[in-house]
Amino acid sequence: MKIQFWGVRGSIPAPGPDTIRYGGNTSCVSVHAASGALVIIDMGTGLLPLGNALMAGPFGAGAGTATILLSHTHWDHIQGLGFFSPVFVAGNAFTVWGPGGSSDVLEDILEGQMDPNFSPLQTLKNFSARFDVHAMDVGAPLVVDGLTITAREHPHGATTALAFRITEAGRSFVYASDVGQPGDTGPDPDAVAFFAGADVLLHDATYRPQDQATRRNRGFSSYEDAAAAAVAAGARRLVTFHYDQDYSDDDVDDLVASCRRALDARGGAAIELVPAREGDVLEI
Amino acid sequence: MRVRFWGVRGSIPVPGRTTSRYGGNTSCVEVRPRGAAPIIIDAGTGLRRLGKALMEESFGDGRGEASILISHTHWDHVQGLPFFSPLYRAGNRIQIFARQRDTHLEAVFSQQQGAPYFPVPLSALQAEMSFHALTEGTHFDLGRARITSTRLNHPWTALAYRIDVDGASVVYCSDTAPFTDLLLGREFVVDAPALDRPLPPDVAAELGRMRAAVVGLAAGADLLIYDTQFTYEEYLQRPHWGHSHPDDALAIARDAGVRRLCLFHHAPARSDDANDAILARYRGVVAAAGDPFEMLSAYEGLELVLGDDA
Repeated sequence: MKIQFWGVRGSIPAPGPDTIRYGGNTSCVSVHAASGALVIIDMGTGLLPLGNALMAGPFGAGAGTATILLSHTHWDHIQGLGFFSPVFVAGNAFTVWGPGGSSDVLEDILEGQMDPNFSPLQTLKNFSARFDVHAMDVGAPLVVDGLTITAREHPHGATTALAFRITEAGRSFVYASDVGQPGDTGPDPDAVAFFAGADVLLHDATYRPQDQATRRNRGFSSYEDAAAAAVAAGARRLVTFHYDQDYSDDDVDDLVASCRRALDARGGAAIELVPAREGDVLEI
Repeated sequence: MRVRFWGVRGSIPVPGRTTSRYGGNTSCVEVRPRGAAPIIIDAGTGLRRLGKALMEESFGDGRGEASILISHTHWDHVQGLPFFSPLYRAGNRIQIFARQRDTHLEAVFSQQQGAPYFPVPLSALQAEMSFHALTEGTHFDLGRARITSTRLNHPWTALAYRIDVDGASVVYCSDTAPFTDLLLGREFVVDAPALDRPLPPDVAAELGRMRAAVVGLAAGADLLIYDTQFTYEEYLQRPHWGHSHPDDALAIARDAGVRRLCLFHHAPARSDDANDAILARYRGVVAAAGDPFEMLSAYEGLELVLGDDA
């Protein structure tokens, strides 16, 4: 699997000279499987540069297909959709799997983003590509082109978000963004079981602990939470993700260095730490 | 008055190396009459940093007042509002003005700010908010400032605003297509129409009235901020998207007799170098024609001092 980061920021895009190294686009990650399958996770503004890159291949000729996994429908995870060039090319086909409990509810939520008050597209029906929307059944694995995808619902403030585990030929990538930490009691055992033995665990590391302390109700993790989860789950690599919009590149450098120390202190010295940066590629 | 640009981009925020000089935040302009409350035009992502700056003033202890004039409610003009820090402090008073919609304005903004899209609903904000629906042609006062407006040529309509205060005037015209090829309204236009066919007389007359009203609104303005998302060549490919180009902005500026023309609402894909080249080209056009106005291109942090303050 080839994992690429297109948007690594939380809450709202944060353009500016002090976010250039890690990037200011909101959440979007692509996974190119060895089988040839393309899985896109979340549709933040990082979806715009991903779409432009995809147009150079089969999607430019209307011959592309992809699976889109949606953790939840807060703006920073869907706001790139109207600017994703491949949906305006007839022949391309997308299947979205996300929360909402029912496919109709999830489609209505995405449709609401295109409401004519807000978007000149007016409706999803104006996409030229096929765009099918399904609610993910958390209990049942999804099998797509040799990939097995499972989901787990975790707390996220007043709501929930889905984590995804993608497995191909015995190797696993886990995407766990927007992971709320309602208390200070350490990683949830069910979450640890879901993350167990992941080759790559991408985990919410929105905050430094001192910033999380005053904003715990927002439903995000600190780098300490990410490190604790990675150690408990025995992950081989940990990716920090979803940095706070107010953190400069220097702040994120500091967050990453602190996360390294947290891993070491918790007995995770063998875990490789890979900070998510726009454009970077990670191979499993 | 002072005019400061916090977001100059159209369509969608574009962080990155190639946009960092002009800036990647979506539309937001602050107009500050001397010694008075801020009048903010549009609430794109640029509003987030403006909000942080305002929290250093009276807004930080809940004594701030601001008015926000919304050109229209497309995402790139409202998406910063949930991240406007003064809304989260009791005592602040924020008035929002926008063109009337089919539903109450508060319902439109509630749709943006609440489940399942955003964790904090509008109703939970601590500041006192009020919503004021406008129709084109309306005028009203905010303190000493006089606000006037007219309609623009954009899908589901947008409003242009003129602010007169402190012996100076600024006019904000974004978003709009030229008033020559297509009348944009509620209908979704799928494909670019042919531009070489004559318009039906009623449509041509309607567009002519809209253009005359825009020229009238901008007459003698110290600063005209104009939607130039496209180059002329790009416009020919997408005349139905509701955006204009520098040649059209220049023609409006000439007819209105403005003192400064500022290019605004840069396309997401427009690099800093491309913006530099467009500005240089049109500064050349203005110089060659002997036009009596200054040509600018908006970038984040650009501040202009106009009128009695200058």
